[in-house]
Parts: sequence; C-alpha cells; structure tokens
Amino acid sequence: MSMSTKSAVIAVLVGATWLTGCVTINIYFPAAAAEKAADRIIDEVWQLRDDASPINGAQKEGEAK
Amino acid sequence: MLALGATAGTQLQLDLGRLDHPAFSLENLRVELGEEGRASLVTAGRLSADGRVFDNVRLECARLHLAAGELDCRDGRLTVPGWGAPANIELRLNPARGSASIKLRGAELGAVSVDLTSPARATVSFTDLSLAAASAMLAPAAGDWGVSGRFNGRLVYRSDGARSDLSLTGKLQDGAFASADGLNAAEHVDLDIDVVAHAGARGQGWKWRAESAWTHGEAYLHPLYLTSGARLSASGLLTASRLDLDHASLSLAGVRAIEASGSLDLVRRHVLRGGLAVAEAELEQIGPRYILPLLAPERAASTSFSGKLSAGIMIDGGQISGLDLAFDRAGFSQTTSDLDFGPVDGTVAWRSDAVTTAALAIGAGRWQKLTLGAFAVNARLSGHSVDVDRIAIPVLDGKLVLTDLALRRDREGWSGSGAAVIEPISMRLLTTAVGLPPMSGVLAASMPGMRVRPGEVALDGALVISVFDGYLQATHLKVIEPLGVAARLYADVEARRIDLAQLTETFSFGSVSGFVDADVLGLELVRWRPVRFDARVLSSPGAYRRRISQRAVQNIGALGGPGAALALQRGFLQFFESFGYREIGLSCKLARGVCRMGGLQGDNETDTGRGFPIIQGGGIPALNVIGYNRRVDWEELLARLQRVIESNAAPVIQ
Amino acid sequence: MTILNTLRVAVGVLCLSLAGLAFAQGNLEINTPAISALQQAMQQRHAQLAPMYGSGAVGLARDGTVAVRDASSVPLAQRGQLNALIAAENADRAALYREIARANGHPEWEAEVRTTFAKRWVERAQSGWWVQGAGGWTRK
Repeated sequence: MSMSTKSAVIAVLVGATWLTGCVTINIYFPAAAAEKAADRIIDEVWQLRDDASPINGAQKEGEAK
Repeated sequence: MLALGATAGTQLQLDLGRLDHPAFSLENLRVELGEEGRASLVTAGRLSADGRVFDNVRLECARLHLAAGELDCRDGRLTVPGWGAPANIELRLNPARGSASIKLRGAELGAVSVDLTSPARATVSFTDLSLAAASAMLAPAAGDWGVSGRFNGRLVYRSDGARSDLSLTGKLQDGAFASADGLNAAEHVDLDIDVVAHAGARGQGWKWRAESAWTHGEAYLHPLYLTSGARLSASGLLTASRLDLDHASLSLAGVRAIEASGSLDLVRRHVLRGGLAVAEAELEQIGPRYILPLLAPERAASTSFSGKLSAGIMIDGGQISGLDLAFDRAGFSQTTSDLDFGPVDGTVAWRSDAVTTAALAIGAGRWQKLTLGAFAVNARLSGHSVDVDRIAIPVLDGKLVLTDLALRRDREGWSGSGAAVIEPISMRLLTTAVGLPPMSGVLAASMPGMRVRPGEVALDGALVISVFDGYLQATHLKVIEPLGVAARLYADVEARRIDLAQLTETFSFGSVSGFVDADVLGLELVRWRPVRFDARVLSSPGAYRRRISQRAVQNIGALGGPGAALALQRGFLQFFESFGYREIGLSCKLARGVCRMGGLQGDNETDTGRGFPIIQGGGIPALNVIGYNRRVDWEELLARLQRVIESNAAPVIQ
Repeated sequence: MTILNTLRVAVGVLCLSLAGLAFAQGNLEINTPAISALQQAMQQRHAQLAPMYGSGAVGLARDGTVAVRDASSVPLAQRGQLNALIAAENADRAALYREIARANGHPEWEAEVRTTFAKRWVERAQSGWWVQGAGGWTRK
C-alpha cells in the first residue's frame, strides 16, 4: 500500500523532520552543551527573551550550528 | 595616694602623680588652679577605668575647692579625646575616705551619676543615657553594630566584706542595633530589666536572679524574626568561666510555658549541659516562627501546622542527648509534595545512648488525590536507628502495610530495609479518586524486599492490577525522592489479556474487541509522567472475536496515526460499522520526548522509508492500518489522544 | 549534519538517523517534567527575587546559589521571608542541577552542572546586581 495524500498530510501534522546526524557517547562532561542548557534555563527563569517560548522551541533554535 | 599642700590663692600648679581607686585610676595627674579657685584645670595623662584607658583627659572646673583632702569641682567640663563635645561634670573626690561623687551630663549622652560613699557602697544612676553615645565612648568597636536607644535605671553595689550585693534596675527605650549584613538587628526595643546578685567573700561567683520584659519592638536574629511580648525570669550562678542557669522561665505568645536550666562554658562558649521544656506550643504560631526557619526554611512558604506540641530537649557536652516530643492533635500540611497528616497524637522519645519508643496515632492523611485512613506508628528508636514492626495505612478500601522496617539515618539520609504489601484496593475507588474513568478490578502488591537508600526506595516483588479482565504486573519498582519536586519511579510492567472492548469503552475511543498483551520495560516516570520506556503491545494469543469499529479507526487517524500513515481504503469501506482484523501490534520506545514507533514486526531500525503495519486486516471487510512516521513527539501524541478522548468525536479525514 | 562540540572527548561514535523534533544532538536533555516544574517555580519566584538582586540585598554566589549579601535595606519583619525565599530558591537550584544530571543519565555530573550554572548565572547577571567572585562580592 502506498502512502496517500492524506497520510502525507497527517505526517506533516505530526511534524516529522528528518535529519541525519551523529550521536556521541560521552564519558566526560559536555561543558559546552551544559552551558547552552544553562543559558536556556536562565532565559526562562529570568525571562530574558520577550518571546519566552517553551523549551522545545528554544532547542530547535539553538540547535543549528 | 594624694598628698596636697595648702590651698593657694594665686595661680598654682600641682603635679600629683597618681590617684587610685577600686573603680578607676588616674596617672600623671596635674592640677592647675586659677585665682580664688576659679577657672581651674585638672589634666590627667591617663585615666583607666573598667579596663579601658583614656589619654589626655581634661577637666576644667569653673569653681574648684581643695580642702581637707577633698576635691570639689563645680560647673566642670570634661573633655576626653574621642568623646565628642565636652560633657558637664560635677565632681567630688575624697580619696582618703574612698568616697566620690561624679555627675556627668552631655547633650547627647544624657546623664550618669556615680556615688561612691565608700569603696564598699556605690550607686550609679542613668538618666536618658544614650547607648549610641555611651558605646562610642566606652567601646568604639560597637559602633559597627549601630547601637542606639536610651537607658534609665540604677545600679547599686554594696559590700560588707563577707557579702557583696549588686542590683540593676532599668528600662531600655527605643533600643536598636544592626550587624553590617543585616542578619542580626533589632529596632524600637523597649525592655525592662531587673537583676539582683550577691557574692560571698570567697569568690565563689555571683548568685543572681533576673527578670526582664520585652514590651515593644522587633528583632531579626538570623533566622528568627522576633517581636515583643516575651517575659523572662531566671536565676543562677555566674563565675569567671561559667554561667549556671538554675531555672529560667520564658513566656512567649503561643506557648503555655517554657522552662530551661543549664550550664554554659563561657570560655569555650558552649552548653555543658542543658534542658529545655516547652509546654503546649501552638504549632500554628510556633511552626512558621521558629520550627520552619530553623529546620526547613525552604519549605516555609509551603508548609503549615496546627494543633499543639510539647517538647523536652536535653543537651550534654554541647550535643543534644535527648528529645521528648508530645503531639496533641497536631496537623501537618505540605503543598509542594501535596501531603497532609493529622490529627497526630502521641509521643516520641529519643536518647543518644538508650533504646526508646515512639507511639503516634495519625487520624487521617492525604497524599495528592489519595485519602489515607487512620493508622498508628509504633517505633523503637536507638541512636540513629528506627525499627518498626508494622505500619498499616488504610488507602481507600485497601491498605498499605509496611513491616519489619529497619532504618538508619546518617549524614546522607535514611537507609535500611523492610517489606511492603498492598492489601487489595478496588480499582473503581482508586480510579475515581485520582480522576480517571472508572475501571473495575483490584490493585494489590507483595514486595517482600524493600531496600531504602538516601532518597531512594527499591522494591523487590510485584504490584499487580487486575483490570479489563486481564492483569498488569509491575516489577523492579524503584522510587526516587517520592515526595520531592523531581519524584521518579522506575518499573517494568507486563500486561496480559487486556480486554480491548472494556479499555476502549472506558476511554471512549470507539470500540475494539479482542485482547492484547503488553510489555513496558524500563519505564521511568518523572512527576508521574513517562519520560522513558520500551513498550510493545501485541494481540494476545488464542481464539476470540477480533473487530474494530469505524469510530476507533477514525480516532486512530485523528491521532495522526501512530507514526502518521493510516491507509484507509475510503469509498465503500466507510459504510461499514466495523472491520475484522487478524492482529494488532505496536511498539513505542520513548526517550527524550520522542516515541520511536514500530508495528507488528517490531522496531526495525534500518527500515526508514516504508510503512509498518499496526493492524493487519482479516475477515470481511478487512482493514489494514499502516504507520509511516517512526518518530513521534510524545507530548504531541498525548495531547492528541487527550483531544480524541475528550471530544469523543471523529474528526473528518480528508 | 550537525557537528558536535569538538571540546568533548568521545570514546565512541554511533551514527543514527534521528528526528530533530524534540531535541537536537549536542544538547543536554532539559525537557523533563521535573525540570519544567522547577523552572516554572523559579520563574515565579524571580518576581520576588529580582528587586532583591537590584537592591543588593541578595547576590549571586559562586557556588550556583543565591545568598544574602546585605539585608539591611529589607524591613526586619520581612527578613525571615527573605531567608525562606533564598532557601527555597537554593533548594530548587540544587534539585535542578541534580535533575539535569539525572535526566541525561549521568547523576555524577551534578557538581559540574552546578559549576556551569554558577558561572552562567554570574556572567549573565544584570548590571547593578551583586555577584560573588574569588575576591568577594562585586557589583556588575
């Protein structure tokens, strides 16, 4: 059975974006990532950005490198 | 001693050397006299009094008489470097008799009058004495503490050789002080003080008795905020190295009585031994004022108390050696962990070196949405260990029974072991209580091996819920910080022969007949919400009716499909009420907010583009449901599920 | 292709196809119910703490906590509440550092998470706020 238009619509609804990447298995502390995480939380707690969006959005933004 | 020549009528200068008195001494004393004793000047190179030393003290007397060994200074002005503006002084000294009379008055200072009728009798009167000015004169270091206020009172000393008596009576008005960091401070303090003391000839210290009433003002002595109203009555013995408190009673708002006794090592500044008894403290007042700031300031805003507490504390060698607590209809409520207990009645006794008991009766409790019935805690306490044979906490129509608890507290927290059993709780009551759609069945658990480590409880055994004609069994249960903001629960769950007809009806999800088995491994809940698991649901083996309703199919579609793709052959199929199926299979591996989906064939990670069958059709008419998206945002999926259940209406699939 | 932070020492590399839906590689997981709850509690508390940072009553300490620097400007009757506020904030901060370490499967990272946060709280403090450095308190 092939993917129909409607299922494609549903797929978009769910919002799947395909990315290919690498996962690194660390044993040492990821300092830069932790700093990024800290900044995101500080943004939220201190409300440093006008559009205090949920963490999801913040992560999507911060991810491009 | 002073030796004077004849009074001079003309200008005269006398170097008198040294003048000693038990209360003070003057060195390099020089007297310059003007005509007829007018405009006279006394300068002292050094005045020593009460351990303090002042240099270049100048005393100018408008009228000075020196006669028969007596010095009489009238309309005098006293200038001491560092004391600010000169103070008015009247001075009469008779060193031979050991008598002295000094009246000192300053614009800022207020008035102090010292009367020494002999070395054995002294009276000091204070009239509107400024503590700010006095402390600047006598103890400049105290200036950092911003001491202020006015003192009126009288100090009387009398000695007859065999016995000395001392009394101080007075009233502090508008007293204040503040440390630089503001952590210790008082403002507008009015205090009545009444102290009497006597000492024997052989230097065995002062027997004293004191009464004090704090009538106005407030103070913050970190971490306690205190307001006026307290009255203290105390007696004891003071020696150079030790303060013995034979008896003290303190009256404080919200407490029927507070009594204390003890010994304080003044050299090492610690309590040698002490006892404190608090009778019937109203917890509603005492809790937020004293208990929470001292023991759990971080919970001050979220915790409230009611009822009464009486307590006894024993201290030995600077350490608490014993504690007795008696609760009288005490109540405790904590909003962060959503926990209530009370009324609590009973006693807790603890000794650092003996086995004692705690016997508490808890009338009721509540944890989140669960109401807990009355239960008793009878424990044996020994040092830092607690042993409890059995606690049975009624939960709805069942019970949580903890047995053979052996817990030990160290710096990290509690650790130990025990066993837990949940006597059957009806699912109908439980689901109603927690706000889920009513389900029939029961929940029970037998967990013979319970291991406690700081912040963590692990349970060997199983928790079983019989529900939807099948059962759900949770094993390898582990709870981390169950009452904390980051409460975590780990478990492996196995479900067998869950009746889909009942399940879908309960959650208003259309109608599916048949049975499923499910395995949820490595389930991790944070604040009761899943953040990680590896789940697989599959049709149970066996022969039974397998149908899925049009509504259920549409609801699955509305979910966005478990993965996205729902291949529904429209057209004639939409006219059927239900469809037959051969098998249902679905897997979801949740991690970091993403559910990785799989279908009947399981989670084939290399399969990237093609769909995966979730429902394989069978019978007439048959319908296949195929998912395409293997990665689904878990929160989004839950939100959709919620919407479908709430609306109970199938959105139109275009 | 997302390039990972090169500062990290990796012992193994596993290439997968991943969705960029809820997280991206190279980020720490901070999207858990506990972290959200803590963050929300701290955000609400910040309304009360912000004026305290501004007045210098409270400063950002070196160890990732907040601390009383000079309570003199706060009325006596409110110093107890200030102390409770600081204690509650510090309890939440401690829970946050522990939870981030745990959510990423490395409870042993807690101290390093705390150090990272301590540095960033201080670096990102508004001007006029007091922060604690090796040499004591300074005003930004």
